[in-house]
Amino acid sequence: MTAGAAALLLAQVSLGVEHLHFRTAETELNRDNVLGLSEGANLLRGTASVRASRGAARVVFRGVAERRFGFGEDETELAVREAYLQVGGVAGFVRGGRQRVTWGSGFAWNPTNRLEPPKNPLNTGLEQKGVLALRGDWSPTKAATLTVVAARVETRPGDLPIALTSAKKNGGAGRLALLVANTDVAAVVSVRQERSPLFGLDLARGLGAGLTAHVEAALYRGSELAPPRQETFVRMAAGALYTRGESALALEYFHNGEGYGDRERAAWRAALKAAPVISLAYLAAAATPYSGLGLGRDYVHVSWTRSVANGRWGLSMRAVASVTDGGVTLTPGVSYAPSGRVTVNADGLLPLGPADSEYRLAPVRGGLVTRVKVSY
Amino acid sequence: MCEVLLGVWLAAASAAATPDAVTILEKAERSVLGEQAAYTLRMTVVRPKKPERVVEMKGWKKGDALGLVRYTSPPKERGTAYLRNGENTWMFLPAAEKVVRVGDKQNFGGGDFQNSDIFRLSLAADYDPTLAGEETVDGEACWLLELKAKDRSVAYDRVRYWVRRDGTYFPVRAEYYTISGKKLKWLTLAAVEKLGRRARPTALTMESALDAGAHTTLRFLTIDDDVKLDDRLFTTSALERGE
Repeated sequence: MTAGAAALLLAQVSLGVEHLHFRTAETELNRDNVLGLSEGANLLRGTASVRASRGAARVVFRGVAERRFGFGEDETELAVREAYLQVGGVAGFVRGGRQRVTWGSGFAWNPTNRLEPPKNPLNTGLEQKGVLALRGDWSPTKAATLTVVAARVETRPGDLPIALTSAKKNGGAGRLALLVANTDVAAVVSVRQERSPLFGLDLARGLGAGLTAHVEAALYRGSELAPPRQETFVRMAAGALYTRGESALALEYFHNGEGYGDRERAAWRAALKAAPVISLAYLAAAATPYSGLGLGRDYVHVSWTRSVANGRWGLSMRAVASVTDGGVTLTPGVSYAPSGRVTVNADGLLPLGPADSEYRLAPVRGGLVTRVKVSY
Repeated sequence: MCEVLLGVWLAAASAAATPDAVTILEKAERSVLGEQAAYTLRMTVVRPKKPERVVEMKGWKKGDALGLVRYTSPPKERGTAYLRNGENTWMFLPAAEKVVRVGDKQNFGGGDFQNSDIFRLSLAADYDPTLAGEETVDGEACWLLELKAKDRSVAYDRVRYWVRRDGTYFPVRAEYYTISGKKLKWLTLAAVEKLGRRARPTALTMESALDAGAHTTLRFLTIDDDVKLDDRLFTTSALERGE
């Protein structure tokens, strides 16, 4: 192969290092330090990504080698975040392999996306692992796109100081997205083994003067959070984005219909306290906050980002507050790009609020995520 | 008597030779990029006492409503893309692999152009032009157009727009004003050279009245005027799919 042909084929290579440091503690979710966490638990990762395209075909690979320190049983793990082949034309594309399904207008929560683990609302900038899926997009007109996905659904969130097992189920979804009267309108139907179908509706539009607004809602039967409840639940993320100059301000409210109110929360904490530490009942209760889209019923997400020094520096402040229990987690961040190839990100994690609030019950007292990426 | 008649005839001929303001504006806009085009562009953002920021991108436009731009350089920003369809603008964030709706007033690529400057593809659609006179700008005889916003949805209430009178209809300069009459920034179109099938201004520099010395230059590197673009290139699915 000539150098010219190789250049056509290989579009982008990135190498990176990610370090996640967690300051941990014994809490109700880590009674007697059952998780075996050191005071400072660390995840160290090397990342590599390759994106190559030629003609209508594209190949993407993103992998990570992760070493855990201070997690009881320290171990090294190799994982593929994404590896897919995409073939497409002007009318659409087909993509097969491990991939992200990132639909939904919500910033921190996407209730219509039940095919992949929920993103971390405390830091939506973290890269996530995709799911094994076959996806097809078809656009019959410039204002309509039909997306169909068959996936091996995974529900385990990443970047946690706790190793959770993930139940994998077969699932699929269809999404029809339309542009109607300058409004994005999308209808979603999502199915998964052993669960009732989810029906979703997603609306987004510009309001002028740099403001956009969105509502993403899902209706489904059967709870994801324990205990099993055969009721119909609604989840909804509604928010707005204001952009002006170098700054962006985002605000989002999230209602999780199956989230715990005061009574359910008290029952959950009682079960957590009553269960022996070394028992499946305790581990199940301790994993509960990570099994859905948070433990509480109502949350608010606020984020502010600003680019300074001609794009070299970026500042951000994110906050997620649980209206249910008064807990707040702040995620301040800074990014630096010393050249066009290198980016450095550092994001803090600071749980605040009442001692019995969701974020304070978790074994993480604070965190620092540092990422360096070099792109070619 | 003959002199009087000749004078009247010359005045009438001159009036007939001056197109109306709408025609001037439409021809001026088409003189840079035609009905359909595919192009590559280099954007240089200059801020006093700070390093230059240079971004290269590929773009496509169709008519007054459809536009798509993808960053190709520097490597850390490759894949970032903007889509315009009518009144709507979306941005694709490659790290998050997510399409997000954005507002018109966001600075495009961190420079002095706003999204609306890049993607609001037809001034003629958004402004009522009137011919305000004739002036010489940078040695070129120009028509001066006063553009008044048709409604409040656009970024600027008033635009002063100079267009060459030599038959090329090349725009030379534009000044953008707030509703209170304050000049926000001005655009200079220069470096006329043959690119694609014809000559045109190839360097567009926007300077801010609010930040002395700050300016952003968009320099066309290539233009393909013969491209035939399918409307479905301008969908959010295509934005996410990539090239």
